[in-house]
Amino acid sequence: MIALTLAAMALLVFASRYLFLEPRLPIELGPKLRRLMSYATPAVLSAVIAPMVLSHQGELVTDWQNPYLLGAIAAVLIMLLSKNTLLSTVLSMLLFVILKFWLFA
Amino acid sequence: MSHTVDSNSKPPSKELWLGTIAMTPLSIAVAPWGFLVGAYALEVGLSPLEAQSLSLFVFAGTSQLVALGLLQAQAGFVAIMLTTALITSRHLLYSMALRDKISPLPARWRYGLGFLLTDELFVHTPSNDGKPLNKWYALGAGLSFYIAWNLATLLGILAGSAIPNLTELGLEFAVVATFTAMLVPMIRSLAIACCCATASTVAVLAAVMDWQAGLLLAILSGMFAGFIFEQAQEYLQ
Repeated sequence: MIALTLAAMALLVFASRYLFLEPRLPIELGPKLRRLMSYATPAVLSAVIAPMVLSHQGELVTDWQNPYLLGAIAAVLIMLLSKNTLLSTVLSMLLFVILKFWLFA
Repeated sequence: MSHTVDSNSKPPSKELWLGTIAMTPLSIAVAPWGFLVGAYALEVGLSPLEAQSLSLFVFAGTSQLVALGLLQAQAGFVAIMLTTALITSRHLLYSMALRDKISPLPARWRYGLGFLLTDELFVHTPSNDGKPLNKWYALGAGLSFYIAWNLATLLGILAGSAIPNLTELGLEFAVVATFTAMLVPMIRSLAIACCCATASTVAVLAAVMDWQAGLLLAILSGMFAGFIFEQAQEYLQ
């Protein structure tokens, strides 16, 4: 059963990544649709991050002592100041660990 | 020096390496997330081989994480497939955006780059800069990321079989840290900021209201918000 689930997931994910790379697919994209598409990545990234940061098990988190929120704010600030992906991820994860397991524990 | 029609100025090995280097920060940053997926899979009851296969063949962090949650909740096959379809739907948009650049390539390149087309690779592959795609650069970025993801999963499996309750450590913050670092440099216009704000709001709302199609809805509303903002700006000028 797990093997079947795995195989079906793999097919589904590959199909979604490959579909429009197939030259025989008779679909052309107009300039407006391309402009719309250019917003896909920021939309996906925001839609994945926001609920992890602002909600917990289906409840809105209003407490400011939220290591996810403070860690994310740190990641934004470090990224703006340093423009360094690795520095931002490592330092924000470090801050998250300190907050979650030490300061707010 | 012999020149071919190919506009690539550097040899393939050099481009492969440049792609690998460009991806390195994300390859390292994604390690805790890959680790989490490996450890979590064992906790859910997958065998080490099944856990590794997930990263080897599915190779989609968000889908893997969510599917494991559903397996743990004893969800059925259909529920897992529908959720995977929703989460992976954004890849349709990536392949659409890169259609002009990748579809003229030979089949093995299309299949290969298609398989490797993650959020992270898409971020490193400009789709509307007017230049042809450097396939070796894209392969270096995509393949090095694939190897990093699978090594991290392997470590998670090894650690998960030795230490219990590894997944309670808050490793999922790695997803937030990685995506935030990718997102911040992307926000170069008010329209993109509007897209992000809308997608975030709808996604949080969907999480609180427990809408099954929340992620897809959030993505679509974010895209339309950015697009409409941009069109309105152009119209007003």
